[in-house]
Amino acid sequence: MTLNVKTDKAGAANKPRIWPDVHAGGLVGYALLWAFFIVFLIYPLIRLFYDSFTTDEGIFTLANFHSFFTDAFYLRSLMNSMLLGVGTVITTSIIGIAVAFLLLRYDFPGRRLFSYLTIIPMIMPPLVGVMGFVFILGRAGTVNVILQDYCGFQQPVNFMYGIHGVLLVETLHLFPLMTLSIVDAMGKISPSLDEAAESVGSRGFRKFFDITFPLTTPGYVTGALLVFIWTFADFATPLVVGIDDLLASQAYLNIVQFVDRRLFKMGIVISAIMVILAILFLIIAKKYVSIKDYSSLSYTQIERKRLSPPLQAGAVAFLTFILVFAFIPYFGIALDSFGKGWALTPIPVKYTLQYFERVSVETPKFILNSLLYSAISVMICIAVGVPVAWAMLRTRLPGREVLDSLTTLILALPGTGIGIAYMRAFREPFPFMSIALIGLWVVIPIVLAVRRLPYTVRGTFASLLIVHRSFEEAAESVGATKMKTFRDVTLPLIWKGVLTGSLYSFILALQEASATLLLVVPGHEMMTVGIFNFYIGGSVNEAAALGFILIILGAACLFLINRLAGSKMGGVFG
Amino acid sequence: MKRFALFAAISVAVFFCLAGISSAQAIENEFYLITPVSKDVHDPVLKAFAAYAKKRWNVDLKTSAMPQGTPVAYGQILEWKGKPRADVFWGGEGTLFDNLAREGLLEKVQVPDKMWNEIPAEIGKPVGLPLKDPKKFWVGTMLEPYGIIYQPKLLKRLGVEIKDWDDLLNPKLKGQIAQCTPDRSSSSHASYEVILQTYGWEKGWEWLKKLAANTGIFTARSRDVPNVVSKGEFAVGFAVPSYMAFAEVLNGYDVKYVFPKNAYVTPEPMAVLKGAPHPKAAHAFIEFLLSEEGQKLVSAMGVYPITPKYKVQGAPGSNQEKAVAFTGGMRSFFDIPVGNVYNADTAGQKKRIEEVNSYFRKEIAEKHKEIIKK
Repeated sequence: MTLNVKTDKAGAANKPRIWPDVHAGGLVGYALLWAFFIVFLIYPLIRLFYDSFTTDEGIFTLANFHSFFTDAFYLRSLMNSMLLGVGTVITTSIIGIAVAFLLLRYDFPGRRLFSYLTIIPMIMPPLVGVMGFVFILGRAGTVNVILQDYCGFQQPVNFMYGIHGVLLVETLHLFPLMTLSIVDAMGKISPSLDEAAESVGSRGFRKFFDITFPLTTPGYVTGALLVFIWTFADFATPLVVGIDDLLASQAYLNIVQFVDRRLFKMGIVISAIMVILAILFLIIAKKYVSIKDYSSLSYTQIERKRLSPPLQAGAVAFLTFILVFAFIPYFGIALDSFGKGWALTPIPVKYTLQYFERVSVETPKFILNSLLYSAISVMICIAVGVPVAWAMLRTRLPGREVLDSLTTLILALPGTGIGIAYMRAFREPFPFMSIALIGLWVVIPIVLAVRRLPYTVRGTFASLLIVHRSFEEAAESVGATKMKTFRDVTLPLIWKGVLTGSLYSFILALQEASATLLLVVPGHEMMTVGIFNFYIGGSVNEAAALGFILIILGAACLFLINRLAGSKMGGVFG
Repeated sequence: MKRFALFAAISVAVFFCLAGISSAQAIENEFYLITPVSKDVHDPVLKAFAAYAKKRWNVDLKTSAMPQGTPVAYGQILEWKGKPRADVFWGGEGTLFDNLAREGLLEKVQVPDKMWNEIPAEIGKPVGLPLKDPKKFWVGTMLEPYGIIYQPKLLKRLGVEIKDWDDLLNPKLKGQIAQCTPDRSSSSHASYEVILQTYGWEKGWEWLKKLAANTGIFTARSRDVPNVVSKGEFAVGFAVPSYMAFAEVLNGYDVKYVFPKNAYVTPEPMAVLKGAPHPKAAHAFIEFLLSEEGQKLVSAMGVYPITPKYKVQGAPGSNQEKAVAFTGGMRSFFDIPVGNVYNADTAGQKKRIEEVNSYFRKEIAEKHKEIIKK
């Protein structure tokens, strides 16, 4: 059955029509997309808010929020979380922008290698980063052991234990995110704009404020928002260095203890507050952040200035310095995953493969589950994300703007918040299911898919932009259906973009450990959960070994992305 | 929604299939444990149980453990409201098990009478610590003290020796002590109670504040404590179960252990959850652990048999002998006089538990920075 709703307006030929040949099938598909968003995003969030505004008996109350905002400890946690978030945005901005400018605008030896290496630090599963740092910079880490044994220090230097340790870990983990956002934004500035500015006398700093700054702002704001939220939602890192007066840590600690119902409720309230804050930040940044702005239509070839030899040396030295720091956790993790009984010596004395054997051969479930769930989640991402992007760009279906906002909202939602929302929402069995979703392993791929959906939507959207509408119209004019057009014309043109976005989702799904930690079903643990369980179970070496495997997997995916994306993402930097 | 309907149909079908298969066997082919007993012990025990099930019933048993701190596991079981996702709860303090039994969330333990009677009713003087529930809702499985772990290399550097609780208050140890919080760890909670019941409420908290002044880190989980000490990040760990400390030795670390005066000795209680998905496997597991094979197995891990019938003994160089050397030559708790001041009737009350936890949170956790500065 065809609905054939055609409301041809004058001049609508080039633009998508309001109701372009909508088939019933298409409408059902669109309804299914909405169903997905409603069941797996909107409902859990509503449930979270409902729980935080009611008592255990279901009576409306503001008392929960009252006790939050009158508790000095929670207020301090809120303050600390905000400060830490802002602090990390500042530090990552300084490093991230400097790195982006160097790699984009200037030429020096090793630039290509650096442009690959500077993204690597993003591959850092939660907990693994801070563990690696503690192995090297902790009170008994390599550096302190050397300082005390050979340099006569009486007391270890406290690099890690405290809020500064968290800042260090987050900064070196997240600066590539900032770099990528800036690169993405700067890539869109056409050199002709630059030339135009220079021709009317706008040079140097003036040009930066006239042209570069305004045009890179959206990219920068997006990056800043991501960095902020990431730091804001991370509870694993602070706990390792003995910090618990942060919102995410309090949410986690209060939730995972069930003894005190009051504290448990406060955990829910804190998560709700985190979600509300995330939405607020998003509204503030909304002017700059939307899926559309992620899209990079085409990267213009940027002319690079050749630096003078001393400056070249400076650039190389700066990047090397940053990278050495950023790679510290990798050294730490590698040493600890192979080393046995490593304590108070600069490097382990004995080496073994037993930890790798234990986490791969003896209990392969961590790796297998990780790969399986991430793969399923990527499939869900594609099944939902590609149609969403397509609907946003090629149709004028009502509500598609809302889909855009919802997808962006996901980016800003703290994982802890989503995890707790799911815990509350899917505790009771579905109407026609015998068991609640919470007890089933499928909840993991679903939550992973929801959390990583924006990357697929973004990748697809960007690729679709490049496919000119006329290609599709040509196919349709010779009688191809929408479906057939999509399959024969659009898909072959965009699959690379979709795949890149999906691989990106895959890497991030592999590393996700805030929502999944709260939702894990016994017997179905994945690698990140394994890392966490091994760590808190005292088997740090096994945690390190799993982390090491995860890092290798991530690096391999990143390499693949680089290869696939080729010139478009420019090996990211072109 | 189509996907759901399909999924629901499949999951229901699978559910009935599995139920059908398992009813034909001696025990179910799955078994889930919720436990604060760390991986060092529960992992090998579960493996041995799976091998035993294969041998005895030819069942390919799939086991899994939810590692949770005692308070969390306890709360989780309450939260399940009689529809547990685990079969057996293992470890922690007997008082919490009494509470669960009162809530009607436990099933009576089914083991042969002879096995049950071999376990003494209690241990310790002047206050006796029960090792099993007279109403049979839980049974002790092994004995282990909550003591002090230390890194000898660091203590030597600091010039400190540790023999008993009070040595922890030495100002030279400032920033060197690692402990978990009493609301996250039952070993910490029980040891706080030992201090509080030794000195009384006021003086006890004064002591604990002095301990906090020396504390460099409150870890997220009790298992982190021996961990950071064996790495050398911190010199001393408070309220560490002996098997966790011994696990670090087996991992190749050089750590030492002190069993201070009146330290809490836990029987690591075990109970079958009412409505457990695999009840036959659950009862079989308890019987296995209390058998000679089970007790021998755990005695290689730094804990002690629950009955005087068995002792920690092995060939020279075996883990059993290493464990005996590690804990100062003791082979059984029933060979030595055990001091205990921990009164379960006082400490186990829900109100008291909350009082201790909230006092800790208000007066120590929130003011830790100020306490350190003093």
